[in-house]
Amino acid sequence: MTTPTILRPAAAPEPLVDGASPSAPAEARPVVSLRGVRKVYPNGKAALDDVDLTLGEGEFVFLVGPSGAGKTTLLKLLIRDERPTSGEVILDGRNLARVPRRKVPELRRKIGIVFQDYKLLPTRTVRENVAFALEVTGTPRRQIRPAVDRALAVVGLAAQADQLPTTLSGGEQQRTAIARALVHEPRLIIADEPTGNLDPLISWEIIQLLLRINELGVTILMATHNASVVTALRRRVVALEEGRVVRDEVGGYHRDD
Amino acid sequence: MAGFFRFVAFSVTHGLQGLRRNGLMTIAATATMLLMLLLLAGFWLVQAGLAAGVSYVEQKVEIVADLHDVPGAEGALTVEAVALEADVAALPTVRTVDFVSKDEALAQFRERLRERGQVDLTGYLDRNPLPASLEVKLVDPRNYDQVVQLLQNHSRVVDDVVQVQQLVSELTTVTGVLRTGGIVLLVLVGFVVLFIIVNTIRLAVVARREEIEIMRLVGASDAFIRWPFIFEGAFVGLLGAAAALAIIALVSGPVSDFMYGFFRVLPIELGSLQSDMVLLVVGTGFGVGVLGSWLSVRSYLTK
Repeated sequence: MTTPTILRPAAAPEPLVDGASPSAPAEARPVVSLRGVRKVYPNGKAALDDVDLTLGEGEFVFLVGPSGAGKTTLLKLLIRDERPTSGEVILDGRNLARVPRRKVPELRRKIGIVFQDYKLLPTRTVRENVAFALEVTGTPRRQIRPAVDRALAVVGLAAQADQLPTTLSGGEQQRTAIARALVHEPRLIIADEPTGNLDPLISWEIIQLLLRINELGVTILMATHNASVVTALRRRVVALEEGRVVRDEVGGYHRDD
Repeated sequence: MAGFFRFVAFSVTHGLQGLRRNGLMTIAATATMLLMLLLLAGFWLVQAGLAAGVSYVEQKVEIVADLHDVPGAEGALTVEAVALEADVAALPTVRTVDFVSKDEALAQFRERLRERGQVDLTGYLDRNPLPASLEVKLVDPRNYDQVVQLLQNHSRVVDDVVQVQQLVSELTTVTGVLRTGGIVLLVLVGFVVLFIIVNTIRLAVVARREEIEIMRLVGASDAFIRWPFIFEGAFVGLLGAAAALAIIALVSGPVSDFMYGFFRVLPIELGSLQSDMVLLVVGTGFGVGVLGSWLSVRSYLTK
């Protein structure tokens, strides 16, 4: 890792939500914790049923399962895009149900989010796309430029900074999206099928990038269908099926029998 | 405080950027705004012209009381006539009372003959056959009863009260319908304009729901999402209003000439309406632009 340190050291973490006690030891305060979470959509479809899940500081966790198993719903609960029907979602010691609506934007600034379809603005350059995350949250101009440069250096896109996303490859677009997720210096990155649109080689590059970011102390939760990556890395795998956690262990995409 | 200025600067610059980067939607929204404001202004002009014409016609309504000839008082007021004029003028329903002497009546008659190009034979008369009269203009042409009553009671002075009741009641029925109809039509057009513009802005916002979604995901507060769009809506509104006013200024001269030629009797004055209309067009453009953006963005904000 030759790039300058973009992230704060893991040893002195910034609380994710204001008001959380910063003196509690990191081990005692998981980054994410779901307790008995149930989610039923208004149309009656039960997406999650009695899910318990804890993510510790600095973990790299795969979330796997067939389509419709509830992976995306789980990720949406973490950014409070959805609220659980019952149970608790706790982010850095703070129950999200008690975070008032106007505090939700602050909460999201401390979580980086990456999607399968990148969600870049096609009329803005790579640099502008990354800077956008800081501009729309009221960051002073003089702080934006250095922060964007650091994030682009981490993902290795400094040379492409002034190109439009449409002129980039899929992998470069996804790296732009990761730079945007990094620019707020989050402690947690949520990635929803980040390699879903990429060929195997490029997918590996993206995974390597996420692993390097994880080494900097960022907790990463990645939903994926990419069996070869999951199996090769032998990290913690949480498998969902029909809204329930059916497996939570270090291992491969499929149960190691 | 610095944060607030940063917020305003962000909103304005991003509002302007939004206009530039979504050129086609901007043009569509501005064109809709322009056309709708022209429609509104057109209806306003017609309605205001109609109202002006109606009140002009209503002002023409007057009660005329012919006075008895008083020998030796040609062209002058008798004591009784002066007293009656004062009494009539004191009535709250009366706007003005004018005394027209026999000489003035003859002079007006000759003037009318000359206008029509007819031969003036009045010089051959041995005396002036026209009576002196009191011409009464009313505040409201429908309230003529009291004045007519008063005039008829002074039969020593008043020879005859020209019957105006029939004329007045028919005229006010027509003008009342025209006035109410004009206002109702203007309000209806106003609503149509509002809905069409709000819908166009909604389309412009829907076209950028991805941008709004990204803003929400990276933690932009509602104000940062909403205000650039509101500034954009305000710019579109003001731009449309300016273009509409420019067009109106260009065509109002010829149109007003045409209207004057068409309704020769009605003095339709465009000039006197201008400040009202500028206010209407600019206010509607700005207000509807802001309102449309506000409503359109609202459904995309944090639930």
